Amino acid sequence: MPDALTAAPPAIRWRRSRLLLRDAGIGIALLAMVLFFALAAPDFLSGANVGNILTQITINLILATGMTFAILVGGIDLSVGAVMALCAVVAGTVMKGDGLSEPLAVFLGIAASLAVGAVAGALNGFVSSFWSIPSFIVTLGMLNVARGSALEVTGARTIYDFPDSFIAFGTATLFGLPLMFLLALLLLLVGWVVLTRTVFGRMIYAIGNNDEAVRLSGHRPFTTKVAAFTVTGLCVGIAAIVYVTRLSIANPILGVGFELNAIAAVIIGGTSLSGGRGSLVGTLLGAVIIGVLSNGLILMGVTDFIRQIITGLVIIGAVILDSYRARLSRAA
Amino acid sequence: MTAIPAAAAGSGANGGPDAGAGGALSLRGLGKRFPGVVALDGVSLEITAGEMHALAGENGAGKSSLIRLLAGIHRPDDGEMRLDGVPYAPTAPIDAIRAGVRVVHQELNLLPALSVAENLLFERLPRRGGGFLDRRRMDEEARALLARVGLDAVSPRTPVEQLGIAQRQLLEIARALRGEGRVLILDEPTATLTPREAGRLFEQIHALKARGMTMIYVSHHLGEIFSLCDRVSVLRNGRLVSTERTVDTDPPSLVRAMIGRTLAQQAPVSGATLGAEALRVRSLLPRNAPPDGRIDFSLRYGEILGIAGLVGAGRTEVLRAIFGADGERPGTIERDGRPVRIRAPRDATRAGIGLLTEDRKAEGLVLPMSSAVNTTLGALKRVANGGFLRPRAEADACRRYAAELATRLSGPHQPAVELSGGNQQKIVLAKWLFAEARVLMLDEPTRGIDVGAKAEIYALLGRLAAEGRAILVVSSELPELMHLCDRVLVLSRGHLAGKVARADFSEERILALAYSRFMRQAAS
Repeated sequence: MPDALTAAPPAIRWRRSRLLLRDAGIGIALLAMVLFFALAAPDFLSGANVGNILTQITINLILATGMTFAILVGGIDLSVGAVMALCAVVAGTVMKGDGLSEPLAVFLGIAASLAVGAVAGALNGFVSSFWSIPSFIVTLGMLNVARGSALEVTGARTIYDFPDSFIAFGTATLFGLPLMFLLALLLLLVGWVVLTRTVFGRMIYAIGNNDEAVRLSGHRPFTTKVAAFTVTGLCVGIAAIVYVTRLSIANPILGVGFELNAIAAVIIGGTSLSGGRGSLVGTLLGAVIIGVLSNGLILMGVTDFIRQIITGLVIIGAVILDSYRARLSRAA
Repeated sequence: MTAIPAAAAGSGANGGPDAGAGGALSLRGLGKRFPGVVALDGVSLEITAGEMHALAGENGAGKSSLIRLLAGIHRPDDGEMRLDGVPYAPTAPIDAIRAGVRVVHQELNLLPALSVAENLLFERLPRRGGGFLDRRRMDEEARALLARVGLDAVSPRTPVEQLGIAQRQLLEIARALRGEGRVLILDEPTATLTPREAGRLFEQIHALKARGMTMIYVSHHLGEIFSLCDRVSVLRNGRLVSTERTVDTDPPSLVRAMIGRTLAQQAPVSGATLGAEALRVRSLLPRNAPPDGRIDFSLRYGEILGIAGLVGAGRTEVLRAIFGADGERPGTIERDGRPVRIRAPRDATRAGIGLLTEDRKAEGLVLPMSSAVNTTLGALKRVANGGFLRPRAEADACRRYAAELATRLSGPHQPAVELSGGNQQKIVLAKWLFAEARVLMLDEPTRGIDVGAKAEIYALLGRLAAEGRAILVVSSELPELMHLCDRVLVLSRGHLAGKVARADFSEERILALAYSRFMRQAAS
């Protein structure tokens, strides 16, 4: 029996390599895109431009990392853009608090942002799984609550003049790469380890596929769902800090539509909207594809409007591709 | 065959769809391949007009593939089909419907939120000018169709989701009866029906037969095949093994043809030495049970205890109540003599109780995920270290139990969805063994599993009991329970109608108890 178990028949081996090829598809698409822009726009591969791209995708990468958790567990979070604004203005308000030393102000600001994000995420997860309401609806509500709160907290005003030591993070580089991008990459790596190597990650995938089977195996899907949404919120809190340190402002109307970009990155990366299938590697590729596309088209002189059209088509194309992938793996 | 009383009765006016002329099917050298599987291999079969022809065979023998070809869901790779002498090559289900070949599938394809009438007439809704629905004609046509399957009491405007599963099955059949049918294919139509409902269905089938409808009947129930059908064809591994008149053969030879060998005389599985009391249930009130339907019983280590009853008697609910799947239920549950409070499945698993649900795919397995993942899902702590999974430990666990249960899989990474029913069931069993459940509750453990794999599961349960586990089995098949169990509890309409010990086992006795509550109802 053990022998029969270890030796995969050729058909299976062939299937595995086909699945691998299937997942490599996104990577190949990205390479083709890079090649195209390198030829079409001479400056595309210059050091400065690559740095630009990495800086531009940092925030979306962080949001998409969090979004991957929500989507894998079978949900979605539409509130990330609005919650990010709330995180940013709360952090800004705390940092500008009277009588705080600069390091303490920065520390408290960051802590506040993370806390606001985590609480918003936990609330999303709690409400949607406790009452079995689609997270689509719950987070749509949270979107409005968070945006309204951000406006209320600031009186619709923009906060600026942050401590210099804090602003310095935004432009800092390490080994020639933007520090904030490296931070995002590190976050993604941690997320990847959590999803692929831990019990928590396993539960997320299992629940995304079949939460009743998980419940009947003696677990509480509720806890895992709340935790997954909390991770999404935590990432929003981190993204808010990155935003403020880079642009040196915090205003209540920032982040409009960011949730859609994050979802797009996750979907282009091949993660199934119905949950349980996908990976953060895909999300990374998805975020890079969106960034490269946008940057390359600008360099080629394509207008904003046309750029938006093309980005939309790419998203739809990715989903069409995904439907073929799903069919392929069913047939396999 | 005898002459066809073609379209003798009924017409479109009373919604009475009838056998159109003919219905003779000729299949020649049909072949169908899927990646890695030959589903059908050179199947040639002549089905005479007006005949009732049974298809028998184990799961995966090719019955469903053949039906899919006839229904236009798949196209054959080789061979041809003829309907009344004319080439029949449907490329989509609509072609089959237009040609008068109607299939009642095993899966229910109804739209739950829509009304009975809308579901029945969905393929061609009666309409008035300007695209408006003709509600009155819909109701009339629907009522006529409902009467044909004995659902006279159901209103055409009822949403389908309010109907029971048996009624839905009859609704599927009623839908297929609409229009000019030439060939009606019934795929396991009685799988979800109670004997009484099945009886009603058989009446309708007899009526259709009398009108000369050609029918293909797929069923695991040999009794049905012999009482209903004119001829029976047996498929094995995609090949046609035999076609015989039912009067010329008998169930044992049919089984031999299906499995290609004789089933050894089955020795009883139970009979292990009994140990201490593992589980005691005192006045438990399962969900949907009548207020006085309190359940009391005890189960000892080494014992296999069966729960018998008709569909809807509340058997599954008893298991779910013990497992906490429907939340905390009134009554007390004792494990090893100590009361345990069970509010959710996790409390039950902590108490060493495992449940193999009836619906493996929806409730037992995470289908797209690997066999290893599914094996360890109930006890992730055993393959984790500080929250981090140990992939090698997982694969080892999967291999160990696969070897122990003789599960056929290509390796720990093979997704559960790719396994056959019997092997999937073994993975679920492995999950509970790995979680060290000493009380195993199994709900219809052999449903949808072929004959050979069934025997394996029985032997396995016998071994698990002999190793000192306590086993509780729900099954709709009395021979299965009588083969497996030391004792059988019989439920009737949510009441514990009686307990039968092995020495007193007989189908008559158990059935009498299962019907007892219905008798009383009728008497009062």
